[in-house]
Amino acid sequence: MLPLQHDAQMDYYGTRLATCSSDRSVKIFDVRNGGQILIADLRGHEGPVWQVAWAHPMYGNILASCSYDRKVIIWKEENGTWEKTHEHTGHDSSVNSVCWAPHDYGLILACGSSDGAISLLTYTGEGQWEVKKINNAHTIGCNAVSWAPAVVPGSLIDQPSGQKPNYIKKFASGGCDNLIKLWKEEEDGQWKEEQKLEAHSDWVRDVAWAPSIGLPTSTIASCSQDGRVFIWTCDDTSGNTWSPKLLHKFNDVVWHVSWSITANILAVSGGDNKVTLWKESVDGQWVCISDVNKGQGSVSASVTEGQQNEQ
Amino acid sequence: GPGTHCVDWGTYRASLQGLTDRKTTDPMEKMSRVTTALGGSALTGRTMHCHLDAPANAISVCRDAAQVVVAGRSIFKIYAIEDEQFVEKLNLRVGRKPSLNLSCADVVWHQMDENLLATAATNGVVVTWNLGRPSRNKQDQLFTEHKRTVNKVCFHPTEAHVLLSGSQDGFMKCFDLRRKDSVSTFSGEAPEAGRAGGEVRWVHHRPPDTFPESTKRVGEDQLGKGQSESVRDVQFSIRDYFTFASTFENGNVQLWDIRRPDRCERMFTAHNGPVFCCDWHPEDRGWLATGGRDKMVKVWDMTTHRAKEVHCVQTIASVARVKWRPECRHHLATCSMMVDHNIYVWDVRRPFVPAAMFEEHRDVTTGIAWRHPHDPSFLLSGSKDSTLCQHLFRDASQPVERANPEGLCYGLFGDLAFAAKESLVATESGRKPYAGDRRHPIFFKRKLDPAEPFVGLASSALSVFEIEPGSGSMSWFVDTAERYALAGRPLAELCDHNAKVARELGRNQVAQTWTMLRIIYCSPGLASATSLNHSVGKGSSCGLPLMNSFNLKDMAPGLGSETRLDRSKGDTRSDTVLLDSSATLITNEDNEETEGSDVPADYLLGDVEGEEEELYLLDPEHAHPEEPEYVLPQEAFPLRHEIVDTPPGPEHLQDKADSPHVSGSEADAASLAPVDSSFSLISISHALYDTRLPPDFFSALVCDMLRFYAEQGDVQMAVSVLIVLGERVRKDIDEQTQEHWYTSYIDLLQRFCLWNVSNQVVKLSTSRAISCLNQASTTLHVNCSHCKRPMSSRGWVCDRCHRCASMCAVCHHVVKGLFVWCQGCSHGGHLQHIMKWLEGSSHCPAGCGHLCEYS
Repeated sequence: MLPLQHDAQMDYYGTRLATCSSDRSVKIFDVRNGGQILIADLRGHEGPVWQVAWAHPMYGNILASCSYDRKVIIWKEENGTWEKTHEHTGHDSSVNSVCWAPHDYGLILACGSSDGAISLLTYTGEGQWEVKKINNAHTIGCNAVSWAPAVVPGSLIDQPSGQKPNYIKKFASGGCDNLIKLWKEEEDGQWKEEQKLEAHSDWVRDVAWAPSIGLPTSTIASCSQDGRVFIWTCDDTSGNTWSPKLLHKFNDVVWHVSWSITANILAVSGGDNKVTLWKESVDGQWVCISDVNKGQGSVSASVTEGQQNEQ
Repeated sequence: GPGTHCVDWGTYRASLQGLTDRKTTDPMEKMSRVTTALGGSALTGRTMHCHLDAPANAISVCRDAAQVVVAGRSIFKIYAIEDEQFVEKLNLRVGRKPSLNLSCADVVWHQMDENLLATAATNGVVVTWNLGRPSRNKQDQLFTEHKRTVNKVCFHPTEAHVLLSGSQDGFMKCFDLRRKDSVSTFSGEAPEAGRAGGEVRWVHHRPPDTFPESTKRVGEDQLGKGQSESVRDVQFSIRDYFTFASTFENGNVQLWDIRRPDRCERMFTAHNGPVFCCDWHPEDRGWLATGGRDKMVKVWDMTTHRAKEVHCVQTIASVARVKWRPECRHHLATCSMMVDHNIYVWDVRRPFVPAAMFEEHRDVTTGIAWRHPHDPSFLLSGSKDSTLCQHLFRDASQPVERANPEGLCYGLFGDLAFAAKESLVATESGRKPYAGDRRHPIFFKRKLDPAEPFVGLASSALSVFEIEPGSGSMSWFVDTAERYALAGRPLAELCDHNAKVARELGRNQVAQTWTMLRIIYCSPGLASATSLNHSVGKGSSCGLPLMNSFNLKDMAPGLGSETRLDRSKGDTRSDTVLLDSSATLITNEDNEETEGSDVPADYLLGDVEGEEEELYLLDPEHAHPEEPEYVLPQEAFPLRHEIVDTPPGPEHLQDKADSPHVSGSEADAASLAPVDSSFSLISISHALYDTRLPPDFFSALVCDMLRFYAEQGDVQMAVSVLIVLGERVRKDIDEQTQEHWYTSYIDLLQRFCLWNVSNQVVKLSTSRAISCLNQASTTLHVNCSHCKRPMSSRGWVCDRCHRCASMCAVCHHVVKGLFVWCQGCSHGGHLQHIMKWLEGSSHCPAGCGHLCEYS
């Protein structure tokens, strides 16, 4: 029997799927050609594993996982075998979310925990990780973290040669204080709360910063215990004015929001066990695609009995 | 005098007989009477706490559910549990000098007699307390038989006078409160471990504090020989009158018959490391829960021949106490003795996430007790943080609720991975699949088996949904990327081709856009005009790959100057060409033929250049630049230079950005050119307007179109059009946006492993920031030709063997300039020398015996 799964993430190339579950395990499947072959079963957590995240492949095959056991483990594939390469134990409570920063910044992992803190692990080379912690990021707890795509102030070519461009690092977090917060790295390397986005009336369950594929604006999707999904957009360059647009109010908790890689479709999964897909129409309204008008029935992904490639 | 002596079986049996006699009243009857005595009225109260004077070690609730006793090293008090608060009722620590006997490790309140309590002291003394005593000191009896800390005391659930103790010294003792001594002693040592079985020892002595030091515990020391493991917990079975369980430091659990102290009925290893606690299930006769330092709670079925593990709960800290929750068959509460201050209630069927969590304590929780044996909602706890708490179940935080039961992830191709709680799935599966649902589950990890007792168990189904083309699948992206033509042909052909590709993929809007672009930018009817430049476009790029394959980054500075010289020559030449071509570009008749900007940069290089130049020269009447803004030749072809000489890095680009007009005479020539050709502009402009609007007229529209596609997530279209139209729209879109589109598109291409397309886009891009990507990602690993170790520094000299690495193997001189080497043996030399050498021999000129290969 498959224990309760908490997360599933495809890697950069879409060839591997990492899942994590209540039974403390993290599993990696090869999903090429529609198959599903278990290639690794990573053991090391002592509690349910909530979330997994793939690092950009330029750093090798690296996977981060976070768990109820308060630990964040970073796994790495070396010579075909997966091994624990780092264990972060800096949280006092369950770690609910992990997210890798855009690869342009180097290897940086943001971790949100039920202890209300967010920690940032930066790889400094030779197996060393530097930890920065934002305490009291969200009272009661942080449920989700999501990085903003890499944005450079001004053009790339304005940067002095040989140096890394001065990226403005930002990420969003959602928590049990019903808030979404945007964090920005200051010049001195400290993280500062930049924005507080208020619209939800219950725990924020997930936030997803849209990939900035061709988009002129910054976009964040958020979902909550209150059943609502908001799309936040920021048009001005200073990044200070965010306006929410209600995508939909569901009847149940909304657990996840996930952007397609071109950021034009948002997948939403809720407590009713349905996945719905949403797209912004030309007039700026969010519509559920493949709706009844098109004779598609509901977009709910009804999971029926049946199986192929049983593990 | 003090000492030890043995009592024979007869006496022992006799004493037990008493127990058995009293058993004639049915224990169940007594139990129910207890319940009745507690009254049927529901408990009231709220989550609350009160401060104690000192850290608590243990708590126990009176059977009236209205009082609780708290015991610790320096506290021993009874509190009344009122609706709004705890009220101190009695302090049992009396007397001037604090006695070690009052340093309590455990306390237990008799569940039949409201006046009877027992404490276990850290000095090994077991004390009973009679609240009915009229004096201030309620101490009743003192048993000083254990030689080390007593960890646990336990009253018999139905027998008023029977008390059991378990100590660090490895012994369990059963006391009859009507006697001064223990009735029997049980040794935790395994029966087979060699201690004389069947021997019951009676140990008599006075309380330790009055005991003469010299004679103290002679017998006990003997008794302690070959000592067994410390006893951590003892618990009478609730249902089996004679049975009790004990847990040990070494991970063992023993089951005893109280009448048989010689040997335990059963023993098994329950945990890895100490078993700190155990608790019998209040209803299930055979179920025993044990908790250990190994962070696990295990539920054992003791009714079977071998103790069978029926459940295992994995907690995140060692388990110090475990208590079944009343009226909830599968629930139990635990607390830990270190690290974790919380109290958890687990559903044993949901073994990883607690059902409820009480987070009130700021230090380790040491004692937990359900307030009433039939009320599941009130839990009391004492802690090292010197507080006593009442927790209401409804106020508990519920980590299970926090736990996210679903996983969702967008795959690359628009497929979705979705893991969901199976109980939900089970209800869902009753439903009919939606007609026309176009997501097809391609695999399921688990087939639901109706026979499987999964009720209440949490499990997941993981599905991956494919999305059919058109609705969000990314296969169109890959097809389009692979099939689009971006350069190398006249604009009209490119547009036609791309329109065709889009149409074939069912993307009619995109196809229409390409067609419109063709109409806007190419004059009608001339699309198929034969292109003069075709020969150029298809012109071989011979020699180029070879040149490029040498990355001269680390080579001699002399070489750099050489190439720079070459380049400036090239600049001169091609600049002239470009002026011509861009001028020709927009002439109405032949613009198809001279899509200079669409020709891949490398096609313009090398030997072809000469021809190209000649072609234009042969065609002077085409030089009719009508739009002044097209005369920006250097910007149109910035890439050309970089490909020729592969500059070391962005600084070179920087230079160019600063001075787009290269330098000196070339710049002059460039600026002069448009002036020269501007004559003809006027002469033909009328004719142009006759046939169509100038393309410039549409540029704002086209830019809007590009932005539209980009916003739709189709950055591919934006970039493709940008490349195909080249100079026509580039100026109207700010550099940063273009850069952003390029980087987005390149990143997408790389995610789909479309390396060739990605490289082509990088090459064709006009953004300097993009084109330097090609160089940034090229790394050359060089080995020293002497020691064969990788060269780490940038110089010529190997760090390890301190010899010059770039010696020509043929002429033995240092190579300045082009250096060619074999990747197999690291030997090489001057290009000319090596080429010559290889004509005669395929072996390495250095004599290493390697059969060199040069690609």
